This record gives sequence, C-alpha cells and structure tokens, in this order.
Amino acid sequence: MAESVKVLPEEIQALIDIHEWDMRTRPGIQRFKELKARSLPSVALDEDLIYESIIPGQEELIHEIRRRHQIKNT
Amino acid sequence: MSETEKKIDRYVFPTHGVCPPEIHFQLAGGVLKNVRFVGGGCPGNAQLVGRLLEGKSLDDVLKYLDGISCRNNTSCPDQLSVALTEALRGSLKPARSFRLFSDDLTGTRIGLIGELDGNRDLLKTLISSIRGQGVDTIHYLGNTVGQSQKSRPFFRLVNQENIRVVLGERDWRCAQGEEGGNFPKLTRKERDSLCLFPQVLSFRLGEKTGMAFYGRYLLSLEDFSDFEPFALEMNMVCGLTDLMQDETVFGALEAMVSQFTAQIVVFSQRESWGHWHIKDVDFISLGKAREDDRLSWGLLEHGDSGIRFRVMRDNL
Repeated sequence: MAESVKVLPEEIQALIDIHEWDMRTRPGIQRFKELKARSLPSVALDEDLIYESIIPGQEELIHEIRRRHQIKNT
Repeated sequence: MSETEKKIDRYVFPTHGVCPPEIHFQLAGGVLKNVRFVGGGCPGNAQLVGRLLEGKSLDDVLKYLDGISCRNNTSCPDQLSVALTEALRGSLKPARSFRLFSDDLTGTRIGLIGELDGNRDLLKTLISSIRGQGVDTIHYLGNTVGQSQKSRPFFRLVNQENIRVVLGERDWRCAQGEEGGNFPKLTRKERDSLCLFPQVLSFRLGEKTGMAFYGRYLLSLEDFSDFEPFALEMNMVCGLTDLMQDETVFGALEAMVSQFTAQIVVFSQRESWGHWHIKDVDFISLGKAREDDRLSWGLLEHGDSGIRFRVMRDNL
C-alpha cells in the first residue's frame, strides 16, 4: 500500500506529507485505532480513513488527493 | 546524552558453582546498578554487596571482586566479576525486557490453568484432575501471590509437580517490591523466587509452536521491544484486539498472523474462556480456575485433525 503512495507523480507528492505506520509496533497499532481502521492495508487522507483492505488505483488516489487539496485551498 | 539519559542495560548472568543460580544487574554508561543475587545464597551479605556496589564504576568495583573463593573455587563476588567482565566484552548480552522460557518437551496434550490467585489447595485439586486426563505438561498462567495465601507452599507445589508457571502481573509487581493493598509482604527470598518464573513460555504441541503469556503488563515493561521474540503476538492480542474482545479488527489481525512465530497463542488476563481460530493460528483465552462451585481448566490437544481445545469442568 505504501508503495502505491510513494510512486505517485512528483507534482502530487508535493501536495502531501506521507506517513507510514508499522502495524507490528505499538505506535502503529495506536495510530490504527485512532483512525478507527479495521483492516489492512488502510489509507487515511487528512485523518479520514479512505481506503480499507483495497489498494486504490493511482488515478483514483490522485483524484482524491487533488479534490481535497482544492477544497482546502479555495 | 546527559548523565541521567544514559541507556540502562539489564543483565541476567547464570552462575556456576555458587548458591544463587543467577545474578541480575544493570549497567548505565559503565556504572553498576541494582545488583541482585537471585534464588539462593546468603541474602544479608548479598544485599550488602549490592548496596556497596550501587552507583560505582566498573573500573572501581572489578578490582574488589576478583579471586575471592567461597566454594568450588569461586564465590558470589567472583561470579559477579565474571559476569561484569563478560558484559564488558560483549559475550554476555543485555537481557530481554521479559523472561522467556522455551520448553523443549514436545507433547500432544497440555493442561492449561487460568488465574488461581495463589490458591494452593485449588491448584492441588486441579493437578489431580488434570493428571487423570493423561496430559504431558501443565501450564499455569496467573498469579502465585494471593490475598491470604502464603507464597512459599504454592512455589513448593509447582516445583514438586513440575508445573510451568507464567508470571502474572501482580507477581511481577511483587517481585519488583511494588506490592501493596491487601497482599502479604513478601520476603526477599520469595521475591527472588518470583523473578525466576518466566513471563513468556514457548512450547511445542505436535508440530506446532505455541506461546503463553499473562497479559498487557508485558507491553509496558521497561525496554520492551516490538521486535523481541513473540512481541508481535502480544501486541496483536493486547494492543490491537483488546484481548480478542474487539472483533471489528479481526480483519487486520488476519493480515498480520502470517508474520507470527507461534501458531498457538495462550493468554489469561481476560479471565474468561475463549478460542478463536484465525487463519492458521489458534488464540486461547483462559478463564478463572474457579467459577462458582466449579473448577475449570483447558485441555489443549494435538491430533490428526489439528489443534483441539476444550474447557473441562469439575464440581468442587
């Protein structure tokens, strides 16, 4: 899942900060619970859990990031 | 790093030729702390040695310890000297945050006992009942220190009957001298005896690897690492699933079990009986040994069809 985020085009990477959490660790589990996630892998954008169990296609992910970026900057 | 922030490494040294089977100590930037001769010997002298050495640098203490003879051409100070020298050389590695015991016996039937609160009489009754079922080993996951019980007879019985004890939270706190409330104050010897029980037990059942632990307190131990043996299993049971009570995250648990070392995970802090089979892993929660007028224990078997777990109940 993290790989699908890391390979996003540079102009999209410039819009976001990426944080990856290791579910083997206590901080990873704590973050998972804070986000009220239930499955793995999971992706949250701006604290909202967007994708659970599924790895989104790149286009879908880019669209969602752009949409949120636009909302925040209008 | 400042003086107060120096990393503290904890060591457990198995002795040779002296009364205490282990010496526990800590090293912080070349300074010795919390020396304990555990499990035997002259407690008064051992405490004095510990106090005299507290906070001293290794350079200062080593010259006093070497070459003292008491028995078998060695002594407690001499063994401490060996331990410190090995720690300095790196041949003695820092101990894990928890004490792990690996049971080499491979059996097909294991008797599991949950919380007994140190009740020796109940343990004796349970042992007799469990032995009647032809088990290979008995594991007890709970506290040996109870409100009104003396710990020594309980220790004696588990040793006589070769019961594998996995230390409960109260026991651990008592071993650290933190006991309070209604619990009896333990002697130093009793506290040292508690220190010798494992906090995590690994075992074999048929071709499966199992691990047993009490519960959450292990995750808050000083120096607990998420990458110690069986830490993942404990993080998943205690942290992720809240002792298997939060079924909404079982999907995430399923994704993680492929990284487990153990295929059987036993714990007892929940104090209610439960068995979950998730992918290839069996999770077993032990209930209290006494429920109203009945005694309960778990029978874990390995057969042709895999793992089988049953709760056995006897009227008192």
